[in-house]
Amino acid sequence: MASKFVLDFPLTFLNPEEAAVIDALAAHIIPSEPGSPGAREAGVTEYIDKALGGFLRELQPVYRSGLIALADFTAGITEGRFHELSDGQQEEVVRQLAELSERDPSDFAGQFFRIVREHTVQGFFGDPAYGGNRGLVGWELVGFPGAQWGYTAEQMAPDFNTRTIPMLTIKDLYSRIGGAQ
Amino acid sequence: MSENFDAIIVGMGSTGGILAEQLTKAGLKVLGLDKGQDYTEEDFAIKQDEIRYYQRGAIVAGVNVDPVTWRGSEGETARILPWSAGALGNDEPLYGLPSIGTGGGTLHWGAAAYRFREADFRMKSAIAERFGTQALPEGSTLEDWPISYADLEPYYDRVEYEQGISGLGNTGGVIPPGGNPFEPPRSRDYPMPPVTQGPGDVPFVAATKRLGLHPFRQPLAINSQEYKGRPACVNCGFCHGYPCHVKAKSTTQVTSVPAAKATGNLDLRPLSRVLRINRTADGKRATGVSYLDSTGTYREATADKVILTAYSLENVRLLLLSDINSNGQVGQHFMTHNFGWFTSILPEPTNPFLGTFNASSAVDDFTSELVPDNDLGVLWGSPIISVVGDLQPIEAYHNMDPRTRKWGLDLKHWLRDNYTHMHRMYSQTTNFPYARHYADLDPTVKDRWGQPALRITHDWDDHDANSVILMGRYKEKIAREMGAKDYWMDSPRPPYHLSTHDVGVHRMGEDPATSVTDIYGEVHECEGLYAIGGGGFVSYGGYNPNQTIQALAYFSAEHMLKKMGVNGADMGLVRAS
Repeated sequence: MASKFVLDFPLTFLNPEEAAVIDALAAHIIPSEPGSPGAREAGVTEYIDKALGGFLRELQPVYRSGLIALADFTAGITEGRFHELSDGQQEEVVRQLAELSERDPSDFAGQFFRIVREHTVQGFFGDPAYGGNRGLVGWELVGFPGAQWGYTAEQMAPDFNTRTIPMLTIKDLYSRIGGAQ
Repeated sequence: MSENFDAIIVGMGSTGGILAEQLTKAGLKVLGLDKGQDYTEEDFAIKQDEIRYYQRGAIVAGVNVDPVTWRGSEGETARILPWSAGALGNDEPLYGLPSIGTGGGTLHWGAAAYRFREADFRMKSAIAERFGTQALPEGSTLEDWPISYADLEPYYDRVEYEQGISGLGNTGGVIPPGGNPFEPPRSRDYPMPPVTQGPGDVPFVAATKRLGLHPFRQPLAINSQEYKGRPACVNCGFCHGYPCHVKAKSTTQVTSVPAAKATGNLDLRPLSRVLRINRTADGKRATGVSYLDSTGTYREATADKVILTAYSLENVRLLLLSDINSNGQVGQHFMTHNFGWFTSILPEPTNPFLGTFNASSAVDDFTSELVPDNDLGVLWGSPIISVVGDLQPIEAYHNMDPRTRKWGLDLKHWLRDNYTHMHRMYSQTTNFPYARHYADLDPTVKDRWGQPALRITHDWDDHDANSVILMGRYKEKIAREMGAKDYWMDSPRPPYHLSTHDVGVHRMGEDPATSVTDIYGEVHECEGLYAIGGGGFVSYGGYNPNQTIQALAYFSAEHMLKKMGVNGADMGLVRAS
């Protein structure tokens, strides 16, 4: 993937370098392709940072230790810091990390990979209210219309093209009931 | 100083809401205590949020607040639910304790509203008649129920009409199109037809028919049309695991609790945590409860009746914390459901975000006593249920093909290409009770108030795994008949041991030596103390528990009122609304 991480949101927990590392990892979990945005474009790192500064604050030490474990794991494979490696080198690190995670569920670096993966999926497919899924790229990818008030019987018929239903967010629904315009 | 009431109800959920309505309408002054909040319409105005409800379990207490521990067998050290308390930061609402607050478990539920079958109440005898008295697995503590289907039928009917159930019933021997030929006898049809069918159910129905099976639309506690002032379902697709934003899903939060409040006789105190049940000095009579109110202040209340409706497991915890277990039966006979999840990728779009989880059909051809003769030793069958709605993308990721690499373009493309073609089936297999499966107090883990956590000792037995495998064979046939491109099945011994369908732990019975309560839920050893809910179940087949739980609630309420000589105990006065 040719894109680069741009820190275009204020951080609430991570430092800028940590954010770059998390973003590089997330970008390999859900990669970008030409014409098809991935975790980076969806703002997954903003989602993760906001979550760690709030609801997931108990995981703050897990992330800090996890970033160290990732650095150590990377050092065992190649020189350089994870987020500064080439795309191919990063992918090789992730491949080995994912394999380790499958092979030895108790390994902490592998656990950290699974945690970041879970949060990457959350940030990619969750409502943009949480800071990710920018431009609704996650929902667009899979064909999920988002936060709908409801669906009609016609829309539920087997031959209905649900791609024609405009995607809505929680914010859109609040504006419908008179708030969050 | 303590306040006095006619009755104290602990837990304003599925059972407690009904008890509250019945007792307050009869004129009793009731104190309702719930550790969750008293939800209003405003709380659920917008709830189409997978992060908040599915990922972060917003309406459950969570194991951080209400720890439960589990171990597979005695000798192991129990840990806080390892399948849900991991560092992933998930507190999925489906494999822990159910939602709390007004409505309780009926806030999050999928609203499957099955009656048990006639044979389910005499499972032990029926198995002995067919397979012999030695057929049950070693150590089973299975018994027949002390009540029959016929005893409960009028109360099932009341649940259907008072709480609002949609479905297609067979009445007078007539099976309507889409009805269930194996349904137990009923006195009248459901009050509403089924909700709008999801598109993913169409191939399931066609395939099961071609296989000679008998698909029927599931009975659901969801309005298909306006009913008792509540509107029809709008098919939002955020239902199972979520509260309802239009009050179309039947939860006691919108049915019985408001009715109880309207009498002026319910003093409902949310965010109040009961610590113990108080009794007379000889222990033979309940006198009230001690609890912490919403400010954390210690309080006591007295009443002639103390009614535990705090979920089977929390009922047990309260009994044990109060040293009420003289016969050693409290917490025994733990039973839960193994879902046997089976996912298929169908050629046609299923659009699994449309409508509710159970906007679909099931087959009862293999349920309970209808289980075919088989080489796996499975003695009791279960329905196979088609699941078509409520599947948002994060949950879809959790359900994805385990053979797919879960990172990179493999992950991304799998979800891109398959999400809108996913179809799921499940069966809830029979879990026999054993002496080795029980709930007790954890010797070391405590909650933040210093009270011991509940500990579950349970593992999947061969019969459980074989049941999942047997039902999996039928699911596989159905998947192939649907033309599934791919399909896969959950482990027959899944990691979870709580299902929000946990029952049996305060068994009802006529013999005070071998059961905890009588058939009405009154605790044998303590007059005036009731434990009502799924904890009273004696056996557990493949249907969802809530319909029977609510039928038992009406059954108990009627008995209490009759016993008190309250006029209108035939419920004529409460039937109208």
